[in-house]
Amino acid sequence: MSGIDSNDIALRADDISFAYHDEAWVLKDVSLALPRGKLTMLMGPSGSGKTTLLKVLAGIIKPQHGHVAVLNHAIERQNQKKLSSLIGYIPQQLGLVRNLTAMENVLMGALGRCGHGKTLLGFFPRQEIEQARAALDLMGIGHKGSEMVFRMSGGERQRVAIARTLVQHPQVVLADEFVSDLDLELASEILERMRRAAAQEKITFLMSMHRVGLRDFGDHILTLNNGQVALGSTNSLRSQSSSESSS
Amino acid sequence: MRTNLLVSAVLILLLGIVLADFGFFDGARMLRGLRNLGILTSEMLPPDVGVLPVAGMALWETVQMSFAGTLLGFLASLPLSVLGTRNLFSPIISGAARFVAAAIRTIPVLLWAIIFVILVGLGPLAGTLGIGAYTVGYLAKIYADLFEGTDPEVIEAVQSTGASKLHLVRFVFLPEGANAILTQLLFMLEYNVRASSILGFVGAGGIGFVMQIYLQTLEYRRLATVLLLILVVVLAMDGLSGWMRKRFLLTAAQ
Repeated sequence: MSGIDSNDIALRADDISFAYHDEAWVLKDVSLALPRGKLTMLMGPSGSGKTTLLKVLAGIIKPQHGHVAVLNHAIERQNQKKLSSLIGYIPQQLGLVRNLTAMENVLMGALGRCGHGKTLLGFFPRQEIEQARAALDLMGIGHKGSEMVFRMSGGERQRVAIARTLVQHPQVVLADEFVSDLDLELASEILERMRRAAAQEKITFLMSMHRVGLRDFGDHILTLNNGQVALGSTNSLRSQSSSESSS
Repeated sequence: MRTNLLVSAVLILLLGIVLADFGFFDGARMLRGLRNLGILTSEMLPPDVGVLPVAGMALWETVQMSFAGTLLGFLASLPLSVLGTRNLFSPIISGAARFVAAAIRTIPVLLWAIIFVILVGLGPLAGTLGIGAYTVGYLAKIYADLFEGTDPEVIEAVQSTGASKLHLVRFVFLPEGANAILTQLLFMLEYNVRASSILGFVGAGGIGFVMQIYLQTLEYRRLATVLLLILVVVLAMDGLSGWMRKRFLLTAAQ
């Protein structure tokens, strides 16, 4: 990935090191670059630091060392509103508000652009509602907008979470193992929709994943092991897969 | 197992010591008490239904006071509980808000009623404000703890959309906590209906004033009617809150 033109890099992280409360380093001198408009898979075994890395890249937790920049904007210098236009984040459990409808959850992606007045009363501008509807349509659940999230299936919730992030219009979307609980068929369908969204909306995706079977959906693959990132190759992943299955 | 037995034995021993100190094991005294209970009961029966119009009006005032006071307290408790949410505001702000809630809660509802009788004069307004004040202290603490318990992943995800603190309250804390908010509100309403029955003793309006007069003039048959009326209202409140829980509480999937 070092051969990528700097203009084609959506997110760059340099020498990131992070440890929780002075414990051992979870991430040590991690550097990476995400090619623009592509879907990159972040592979690695459970506990390898994928969630921590994504949270650092999303600006949710601050690393002890290193810098992250999205389209040459250093994220530590951005306020929350500006940051939301650069980075979208989908946590492992999706972070949806279960007692709201799918449409209300998707509209939350527009909060960074909306003021307080009518929005706090639950009224969003017409164009935001149309965008939310389009995002739900793109995810194939346009007819489920008025359904409460707690009544939806796991797969439908994943799509709501993606739709919310699409409405946010970020340059980069960081998604944490969010298809891990789905069966292979459904996970494949959702990843395919993400690929389509990446192409259509020109969004860069970085998805953490420990299921090797889904790696082929990525345009690029990164592997994280022992707190360090390396370019992944099909062979290394195959050997990882076989070692996981034998253990 | 042995520790549990030891703790239970110590607790029972402590209970025995306290009760003995208060005269619980004074057989003659307790026997006298039982005899008096029989006399009081016979003097209360049959209830004098002639006071129903007067008692009914006073009880209606009590219900109004509880309703208005609870809602007033509920509305005031929301901003205070948000300010007391430690994962939203700095330790100074949240600590100050929690201190205010604790200070309000320290004063019992009867004392709040006396304070408001002094401030705004006799009548149901003092009772309503007294109930409202106590409700603020109680609900602000419960709701602040509730908001703090919101799933951090949901907060992180919504914050990453550029949502402000007000947005978080409106779109995360309130809907996520809706069930517990309503449950606590209904509990508070039930509690306040019972508690406000005695506020009339200190001139804060409602059925308590009528009860006080019947007690002082030894008109126990009339008092019996009032107590039965209160029982009916409390049972009605139980039924109403049960219906509301069923009707409005969301059965969120886990």
